[in-house]
Amino acid sequence: MALTIPSPQPTSHSPPFQVHRFPQDQYIDALRWLPQLSAFHRHVLLATFNSDTSISSLQTLTYTPNSPPNLSLQSSYPTPSRITSLKTLLIPQSPKPLIVASTLSGSLLFLSADLVNGSLDFEFSVPEKGFHRGPVSGIDVDGNGSGSVVSVGEDGKINLIGIGSEGRGSNQRFFDSNGLVSYSTVKWASPFEFVTGGLGYSLQWWDQRRPGGPVSQFKGNWSSGTTSGIVHSVDIHPSRKHTCLAGGSSGTVFAWDLRWQHQPVILSGAGTPETYSPSESEIWEVQYDNYTHSSNIRNVSSSRVLPAMICSEDGILAVIEQGEVPMELLAEPCAINSFDIDKENPSDVICSLEWESIAILTRS
Amino acid sequence: MPGMTSDSGDHSTSVVPISPNPQPTTYPLHHGLKPPIARLSISWARGNTLRVTVLRQPQPSAANGEEEAGGRVLEVKLSDNGDGEIDDAQWRRIAYGSVTPFALLQSRKNSTSTLSKISALDSTEWWQYIMEYSREINSLLGNPKPSPSLAIEDQKTVLKDVQKPTCFKAAWELMEIFYADQHSQAWIPERLLDWLADYDCLFSGTQPTVHSELVNFQKELVTRQAVEDHPKYWEAISSTLAIGWLEIGVKLLRLHGSYDFDQLGSRETENGLVEAVAVLISKMPRLRADLGADKLGECYKNKPDFVKAWEKWRAQITKLDCSAFWLQCEHHQTRDGLKNILQTMLGNSTSLSNATFHWMELYIAHFLYIRPFTAVVLAECSKSFGSWMMAHAAELLTAGNIQAEMLLQKEQFQLGGICIEELNRLVYAQVLSSHALTWQIAPIYLSSCMKQGMGLLETVLSKQALQHDQVLLKSIEICRLYELGTVSSNLMKITAVHDWKHGKKGSGVFWLQQARDEVRLNRIAKHLFDFVGKSLSDDSFKQWEGLIELLGPESGIAGGLEFLNKYREFRRSLQQVHSGTATDAAQRAAEALISLMKNPSTPQRFWLPILHDSLKLFNWAGRPLLNVSQTNVLLNKLQELSMARLRPDFVNADLPPEALNSVRLAIATNLGRAILEE
Repeated sequence: MALTIPSPQPTSHSPPFQVHRFPQDQYIDALRWLPQLSAFHRHVLLATFNSDTSISSLQTLTYTPNSPPNLSLQSSYPTPSRITSLKTLLIPQSPKPLIVASTLSGSLLFLSADLVNGSLDFEFSVPEKGFHRGPVSGIDVDGNGSGSVVSVGEDGKINLIGIGSEGRGSNQRFFDSNGLVSYSTVKWASPFEFVTGGLGYSLQWWDQRRPGGPVSQFKGNWSSGTTSGIVHSVDIHPSRKHTCLAGGSSGTVFAWDLRWQHQPVILSGAGTPETYSPSESEIWEVQYDNYTHSSNIRNVSSSRVLPAMICSEDGILAVIEQGEVPMELLAEPCAINSFDIDKENPSDVICSLEWESIAILTRS
Repeated sequence: MPGMTSDSGDHSTSVVPISPNPQPTTYPLHHGLKPPIARLSISWARGNTLRVTVLRQPQPSAANGEEEAGGRVLEVKLSDNGDGEIDDAQWRRIAYGSVTPFALLQSRKNSTSTLSKISALDSTEWWQYIMEYSREINSLLGNPKPSPSLAIEDQKTVLKDVQKPTCFKAAWELMEIFYADQHSQAWIPERLLDWLADYDCLFSGTQPTVHSELVNFQKELVTRQAVEDHPKYWEAISSTLAIGWLEIGVKLLRLHGSYDFDQLGSRETENGLVEAVAVLISKMPRLRADLGADKLGECYKNKPDFVKAWEKWRAQITKLDCSAFWLQCEHHQTRDGLKNILQTMLGNSTSLSNATFHWMELYIAHFLYIRPFTAVVLAECSKSFGSWMMAHAAELLTAGNIQAEMLLQKEQFQLGGICIEELNRLVYAQVLSSHALTWQIAPIYLSSCMKQGMGLLETVLSKQALQHDQVLLKSIEICRLYELGTVSSNLMKITAVHDWKHGKKGSGVFWLQQARDEVRLNRIAKHLFDFVGKSLSDDSFKQWEGLIELLGPESGIAGGLEFLNKYREFRRSLQQVHSGTATDAAQRAAEALISLMKNPSTPQRFWLPILHDSLKLFNWAGRPLLNVSQTNVLLNKLQELSMARLRPDFVNADLPPEALNSVRLAIATNLGRAILEE
């Protein structure tokens, strides 16, 4: 909840960009860009919650960027419970992207989005029983390797769900901490490895080939006073599979390199005076930003952390880069709860605002 | 209340009128249970929802085996948004949108209040702030007017496209015209004309208006003789005066029969009274820069002069009202009609209500005749528009008006020492915090309440349903911003206990750590240690690794759980000893053992298993690993353990019966060797 008065944006050094806001009149639990089918239309996937009717649903929306920009509902699918995490996967030779959504009640939904005819079609689901106890807090889809979904929960369970033609929907318990450790987010690093994040600025590196516990783990000891200290989101760049980017409480963003496990690179927050922090509050999501300096990725030394985008409870959407002054894209009077950078057009960013609206940024 | 001769509503005695709803509304609830209903419980659920629990008498299951439901829980959503011209979602949009302008204006107010208040309030800068605020709020209430360029292109279609304006917007703009826009002071009639054009469609309903009544009356006028005999004539004059059409009022008055040449002689007094009222009307003080040649009233360019003239004018009306000439007026319709006109001019609410047909006209009438007195506007606002309007419109009413500001900011005894302004904000904040999506806005309004704001904020935060992690984190963030550390740690403790109860042990421990609640951590530790494997050979200890990582290094707050960390160190070093024969490793293990046994947080039930696991250390081949004093520590522990065995609550370790004896023997042997060595 931001209570500061937003100053006029953008600042002089930031590149020009356009922002369009679209009130939705319902709470946005999660959102993603969907693959682009034509040059004129874009599609957006929303997980919404209508507080008046208590109905939660997945929705596809058509976005027409031309003036005036327009965002209109294409299809809607009511979900049994609110959505906690949302991922999409483009299936080769199929125009219909696969949608994976985890729910607050502890189940997993698989849908396919028919963007041409405008429908969301149920594929299969993993029911609550024997899956997670309580909410599923994070999921990730492995797009190129094993073809499976990993899910984590506050209950301390880690499950692997098959999505390939064989073992579709099969659910395998990979680990169970019996509630002694809660996980808040997960991200695949390779077809066998994934990273989880959770309480106490902790990260765990897991390897499917070595079950029974994390291969490595990290714990940040930056908590001070009565603040929280939770990793809310992690990301791994395909070109830097040994480095995990994490964002969490108190504006903290850090990179954990498996090769130098005890020396995390702090990009923001964590009470470090030498880094300029764009936010002092919860960082709800982090994603590597392929748009910023994407041309000279190969020139950057492999120890340098790539530029990343963050969104925060105090209403900041910003790009942070190691050793650089962060570039603020949005400073909203309310929280920015999630965002997504379009994989095909990294210049486009969509984000959900606490006050029941979404904003679409086009960087140029 | 000054300026009001009488008032029909019973809110005249209360500072903030809360409209009584004499007729209860009945809503049928379909619970679908067969009678008899044994118990009914009603409680608040989330937001504006009532939770109604209907329970039947417990009954033996029916013969056909079909279980009848024993009870049902229903959730009843309550919503009340006035006339319903704005729906819930749109309301929230308005609520979200008003936060920034409100907060900005408050912060500007706070920064100017440190300077000289009056000079700051008079500055043009301040008026700009007010107008900026007013325009932003206004823009939330509906679409901006169509741009003129579009209107020129195709007027008809533009008119069709225009969204029907809301009464809220109409009322807001009216207040802006009268109270906030300094530039409009000079041309209020023109602004009113514009305003009427914008909101004309709000009038075009089934209800009559002053205008429609006048049109009807004019038709009759042509055929009528001695108009003063007809009540409609007097009504028409009152109505036109009420909404400020002075010229028409005077014109109508001059149609009075006493002006006829043949009547002058016999109706002198009556005519004198009519003319006196007409003169008073044409001398009505008006605060504006200039007045058209054909317009009536006396023009005053600044407020002090106006207020002086206004009071003088009102005194003249009162004087006339009390004049003895009325007794000499034999024409009773004239007497009553004129008297009523004077009441209208004095701002008598009943007269104004009677003289106007539409509430909008009543508004204008109020603004025109009772303007200096904010209380009436507030009363009307609260009757028609509810808490949002009350909290936001006060800023317009008090703009540059010290009198109004005093009225709104005076501490009221009957409100428990808070002022009307604060009360309005508190009420609005309560409305906001009753909804799951708007509660986060409430702190902004509460923080502008000097007396009760923080108290209510603490209550709002403490009442949050914290089952959802995000709600907890958002609440903690608000606590951080308003420096409510105690509330924050209370929320953490509530979450911790909830998580602990629901099997999320790690999360429970984490939040207790964050809240620095050592008492609960110690209690939790006692429970937790029941499940910790107490033997080195117990492989299940592995599952605790994650939690121990979470506890962090020893410097962190862990309460009794600190033991887990030390115990892990000990186990690790002991495992190294078992896999090899290096004395260094054994020495480290021995040190870990002593540190563990010296630590008061090591639970008693672990003593014997730990010592039993350490047998190899006591019988170390090379040299004794523990010196005399160290060995004595262990012996004391054994002694303590023997005493404890006698207590009824002693928990026997899951060890072979000879374990204690073998430990005792080993330690004794070690003591002997240590004494020899020293």
